[in-house]
Amino acid sequence: MRIPILKLHNYLLISIQIDLDDQTAIQFQEDLLNKIHQSGATGVVIDLTSVDIIDSFIAKVLGDVVTMSDLMGAKVVLTGIQPAVAVTLIDLGIHLNEVTTALDLEQGLIKLRQELEE
Amino acid sequence: MAKNLKEILVDNSNGLVHMWLEEVAEKQKEVTNSAISQDLFENTNREFVNIIFGSVEKESLTSDLDSFTERVINLGWPLSYLTDGLQLFKRVAIEFLIEHEELDVPVPKVLRHVDELVNPIINQLVNEYSGSWENTVSLQRVALQELSAPLIPVMDNITVMPLIGTIDTERAKFIMENLLDGVIKHHAEVVLIDITGVPVVDTMVAHHIIQAAEAVRLIGSTCILVGIRPEIAQTIVNLGIDLSKFPTKSSLRKGFTTALEMTNQMIVQTNSEEQTIEELIDSLDRSKQS
Amino acid sequence: MDFRTCVNIQKEWDIVGARQFGRDFSKKLGFGIVDQARIATAISELARNIYLYAGSGKICFDEVENVGSRGICIVAIDTGPGIKDISQVMEDGFSTSGGLGAGLPGVKRLMDEFDITSKTGEGTEIRVVKWVR
Ligand SMILES: Nc1ncnc2c1ncn2[C@@H]1O[C@H](COP(=O)(O)OP(=O)(O)OP(=O)(O)O)[C@@H](O)[C@H]1O
Ligand SMILES: [Mg+2]
Repeated sequence: MRIPILKLHNYLLISIQIDLDDQTAIQFQEDLLNKIHQSGATGVVIDLTSVDIIDSFIAKVLGDVVTMSDLMGAKVVLTGIQPAVAVTLIDLGIHLNEVTTALDLEQGLIKLRQELEE
Repeated sequence: MAKNLKEILVDNSNGLVHMWLEEVAEKQKEVTNSAISQDLFENTNREFVNIIFGSVEKESLTSDLDSFTERVINLGWPLSYLTDGLQLFKRVAIEFLIEHEELDVPVPKVLRHVDELVNPIINQLVNEYSGSWENTVSLQRVALQELSAPLIPVMDNITVMPLIGTIDTERAKFIMENLLDGVIKHHAEVVLIDITGVPVVDTMVAHHIIQAAEAVRLIGSTCILVGIRPEIAQTIVNLGIDLSKFPTKSSLRKGFTTALEMTNQMIVQTNSEEQTIEELIDSLDRSKQS
Repeated sequence: MDFRTCVNIQKEWDIVGARQFGRDFSKKLGFGIVDQARIATAISELARNIYLYAGSGKICFDEVENVGSRGICIVAIDTGPGIKDISQVMEDGFSTSGGLGAGLPGVKRLMDEFDITSKTGEGTEIRVVKWVR
């Protein structure tokens, strides 16, 4: 299964709509990095509104994606993390400290623009 | 023979009622509650003793007793009114029986028999009462929980959560979940958690607050911790708690100003003269801090 | 113990299957949405550890009852290599696979009760319980 990556001007938009299994997560990591490389995008918004579980593996993949994209010059914002998911991540001891977050896609785009302008 | 004892009691109910009422009136002096009118008290006593007799006579618990108990509970009278009343009844009955001439029953038997007559009534009363207590306690728990973590959407994108009272693990979980749901519901970019009303901030409480703030960050909002009193600042530092990751402010007012800045909003005063004074004070305030 | 349902863990997809089953089961027991997520995540961690470190095993689900409260009991069983130093794997950040090492200590925090027994060369059994609040 592949997660679609949309391009909008300089940004890439991803909305994850499925229960992520490990393989799909890793495939997504690869696809996103390739897409950043091809498109020269400077910002990425990954919307997680429909994701109802993030375990330590998926969290690691997401954290890695953020760091890797950063290395390639694209800033990532994670949006729409559900309260239940956030509470679970905190219990797991995963804080995703380096990751920028926003309430929803719209806020995410605003944050990206602010951070890229600075 | 057991029947005889009971019959004697029932036959002499008038005298017994009289004795009981006198004793109760005596007792009442000790626990006088001025809010209860004399009439109400006397009527209730009369009804009470009749119900006791009813139960003793039928040797079973009547529904009258249930409805009477319920009414007394609703009146808010203490359980001791009922138990004292019944204990008095026991005493009056025992004294009466022992002094009764025609009777040659040994005293221990009298005691036991009266116990057997009255104790079921006491048990039933206590059950009714504790049932209603449990009910009240669980209702209060729900009410307390609702009070426990209110969220106030002050304006677009800014929400305040004032915390009042002691925070334990159970409540901390509730606060966290309520906070996160509220942030989503009100689309709050900034939440101010006001701990002015939290009496003690120990490592446990601080830990819970930090976790809540981190969860808020994960869902894409920002927490500002406000209402940090001097003694709380001291304990936080003495305990080695690291709050440096979150913005903190001493007062809700200062926190609110920060929240406005963060959301690119500001409050414009229509009266310009006052505004300049405000600004002057604020700038003095700020230069003092830095 | 009323009944017991087990989900075998052999393929990677079984991890997703196990946590979906656990979420439905906990929903039926009356857990709130946040606890459902906690339980599903704990299952995911346990199932992935079986898949990664033991190759195969199973996750079993039970409904448990205590004075006045109901709960879910989840047992993860495998006959893999076992864990040599249990206190070490319970430390935050310890991993032999380059993971976050958040799994086991995290599961302990997500659930109310946590028991682990393991013998090198024989396998590992982890039993966790969460009570309906
Ligand atoms: N069922 C098991 N059999 C054998 N060893 C195990 C088992 N479960 C865990 N371990 C060992 O315990 C270590 C810690 O496990 P834990 O789940 O906490 O972290 P992780 O799997 O390495 O990383 P993460 O779960 O954060 O992705 C593992 O690296 C592994 O060596
Ligand atoms: Mg693991």
